[in-house]
Amino acid sequence: MGKEKTKSHFVGVRLTEEQKRTLYNLQKKSEMSKSDILLRGLEILSEYYALGLDKPPLSIELKKLEEEAIQHIKALKQIKQREESVKQMIQELREVDEIIDEYNGEKNALIQILLKIQEKKHWLPKPALIWVSERLNVPMAQIIQIATFYKAFSLEPKGENTVKVCLGTACHVRGGAKILEAAEQYLGVKSGGTTPDMKFTLESVNCLGCCALGPVMTINNDYYGKITPPQVKDILSLYQRENLILTSEQKKIAPLAYKPTPQHG
Amino acid sequence: MPRFNSLEEFQKYRENLSKKKDPKQICISVCSGTGCRAYASEKVVEALRQEITKEKLDKVVELKTIGCPGFCEKGTIVVVYPYGICYVQVKPSDASDIVKQTIIERKIIDRLLYTDPKTNKKIVYESDMPFYKHQRRILMANNSKIDPKNIDDYISVGGYTALVKALFKMKPDEILNEIKKSNLRGRGGGGFPAGRKWETTKNAPGEPKYVIVNCDEGDPGAFMDRALMEGNPHSVIEGLIIGGYTIGAHEGFIYIRQEYPLAVENTEWAIKQCEEYGLLGKNILGSGFDFTVKVHRGAGAFVSGESSALMSAIEGKVGEPRPKYIHTAVNGLWNKPSCLNNVETWANIPFIVNNGAQWFTSIGTANSPGTKIFSLVGKVNNTGLIEVPMGVTLREIIYDIGGGLPNGKRFKAVQTGGPSGGCIPEKYLDLPVDFDELYNVGSMMGSGGMIVMDEDTCMVDVARYFVDFLTEESCGKCVPCREGLRQMSRILNDITNGRALPEDLDLLKELSEVVQMSALCALGQSAPNPVLSTIKYFYDEYEAHLRGECPAKVCKGLISYVIDPDKCKSCGLCAKNCPVNAITGGKKTVYRIDNSKCIKCGNCLDACKFNAVSKVTGRNMVEVTPSKR
Repeated sequence: MGKEKTKSHFVGVRLTEEQKRTLYNLQKKSEMSKSDILLRGLEILSEYYALGLDKPPLSIELKKLEEEAIQHIKALKQIKQREESVKQMIQELREVDEIIDEYNGEKNALIQILLKIQEKKHWLPKPALIWVSERLNVPMAQIIQIATFYKAFSLEPKGENTVKVCLGTACHVRGGAKILEAAEQYLGVKSGGTTPDMKFTLESVNCLGCCALGPVMTINNDYYGKITPPQVKDILSLYQRENLILTSEQKKIAPLAYKPTPQHG
Repeated sequence: MPRFNSLEEFQKYRENLSKKKDPKQICISVCSGTGCRAYASEKVVEALRQEITKEKLDKVVELKTIGCPGFCEKGTIVVVYPYGICYVQVKPSDASDIVKQTIIERKIIDRLLYTDPKTNKKIVYESDMPFYKHQRRILMANNSKIDPKNIDDYISVGGYTALVKALFKMKPDEILNEIKKSNLRGRGGGGFPAGRKWETTKNAPGEPKYVIVNCDEGDPGAFMDRALMEGNPHSVIEGLIIGGYTIGAHEGFIYIRQEYPLAVENTEWAIKQCEEYGLLGKNILGSGFDFTVKVHRGAGAFVSGESSALMSAIEGKVGEPRPKYIHTAVNGLWNKPSCLNNVETWANIPFIVNNGAQWFTSIGTANSPGTKIFSLVGKVNNTGLIEVPMGVTLREIIYDIGGGLPNGKRFKAVQTGGPSGGCIPEKYLDLPVDFDELYNVGSMMGSGGMIVMDEDTCMVDVARYFVDFLTEESCGKCVPCREGLRQMSRILNDITNGRALPEDLDLLKELSEVVQMSALCALGQSAPNPVLSTIKYFYDEYEAHLRGECPAKVCKGLISYVIDPDKCKSCGLCAKNCPVNAITGGKKTVYRIDNSKCIKCGNCLDACKFNAVSKVTGRNMVEVTPSKR
């Protein structure tokens, strides 16, 4: 493409770059001469004044248009967000689908399927349950019945770390309740609650089957045996900053920090 | 690994395995049960592996992770074979010493040996430890020999010989007769003869039939099923296949509670290996018998351990019991005849098939033959799993094997049978332990939990604990259990808070009897046992609570903490540890506790280094307890 000449003057008026481009485009499109454009422009201007479309009303009009445009953008964003969440939901449901397929979509495997979902998501989101209900052809009421009957399920989101304090008989006689109290005090939630920052969920369990180590507390899959109430704070604080500092490698060392006290009965 | 299509192939494989096995092979075995994992046994294994590689002993030394040998108190346990040297409380940092000194220099490391607390002598070999010496290990014997994730280990110690014998040399009726003659009683709690149960299912009309393993070990304080399922899943699977063959079932289920992730993992692994070897699936070892096993994970419900509830849980429903006018043996899973037995019962089967009923009845007592695994926990020195013949006395278990109570405390009671059992007082310490004897004193065998309690345990609090536990776990289907237990829990909580009236005790008894008579399932019917047995044997403690005293100083509503001014050194540790700032004082002034603020957490008692803080109850209490509700 050859060099296009753009005029820097128009009937003796100095033009800005933008005006130059507009003029050039106009000329090219309408194939009108310079003076024709000038005349047409004057015509429009006179019409404009004749109609009384003075500056203020025009700017109001423009502002309105602008506001409308902003609102459209907002709506577009919302639609996009919705699209994202739908996409995410589809992704989640795909995962649920995979789990259901693992069990060949058998109705009998309902509890196993819910367990797997719980394991993955740490809770049972409603869309997932609706999907399970659809796929297995099991009424939602039955699913909710199961989800509320068994202790392993939660219908509310849980914290990143699940803290379980054993209150089995062996741990009970060795002071498991005191451990729970210490954990409640430190986290500021009662047993069954989740901290507002979604870091911890505190639960009590009835026996973890390592009674010889009582009292026992577990955090996720780490077991802490023969602990005393003051140690609870130290152990929990390890996990508080865990996301930032503790690597999984370090986490595995953590249980060693608490050696069993030989005299502890 | 190719599938064995005939008996010959399998036998040949076993021979090859035993030929390859060198009795002089040096092997370091590390316990990897849940108990030892809590002591970071995985780190110990990793450290040992690195050390072995560093010393270039990879080909000489075998490193093995084994199932739970039972002595959880002293974990992590490491045994060095063929010498049989047993190290306790091993830490990752000890790995280099074990490899350098014991393996290379053949020296025994003194500091890692077990010290007998009675004689203060170091003990080198497992068999010499008092904890193991008084036991008779049959079911658990293989736990310390095999890697639960390696089927070859199980085959090389004689695994699946009973299956071979059953499939190729015995007819189903013969096996059934043998089991009946052995008088093997269900190890899950009730003690119902397994042979009779099998026979009912076998003769019941309807196809298909099912066999089920109950590993929903919900009793707090019991973990023998976990140890077996984790440590030797093949023995249970073998028993289950034999059961299926005898009864005529081709499908088996293993129900494992959700709290035992390692048991689920190891069992699923074992099933996969069995399928690869052709020990499960179609035409097992060319015998023409088909059998498959599925693992069903529980989702956390105590009541699901009840047979009919467990079956509806497997069906994917809510695990609630149903009235058993027709026994589950006839009308069980999907309304088909289903034979449900406990893990330990199934694990006994291969031994009975191999050794005969006569051998089995020679162990234990006449009415309760065989051995039983107990989990000895609570206030006892050597906690862990023990296997003893039926009929040994409680005293032998607690004092000889358990090594007595720690810190010189006095024995008060032993609780057997979980929440359905009762508390047995000191006067019955010489009671031989079997199904009937325990029942006669108001307790039961249960799944074998044995929780030792010392003088610091409040028996009313224990009863309250169990009733609260069962109130929470009651499925709510029948009224006596749901409402009765709730009211009992209220009364017991009142008693422990000093708000009860004397007549409440009679009401509690009456309620207990009603629940016992009218509840739907065994869980509800046996729920009042802890209350009734403590009322029977520890009535004085209930009376004391009514007077506003807790003799063991446990019940929070009846105690208060005081600081002895003579002993207080004004160090301020108690005040520092108090979560509610109830303790005030300062330099050179004696600290004192404000009882209106005190929440009785006991932190000050634990913190004080001068024994200045003590608990008081009854008349000595500073604050008067609030009157009746």
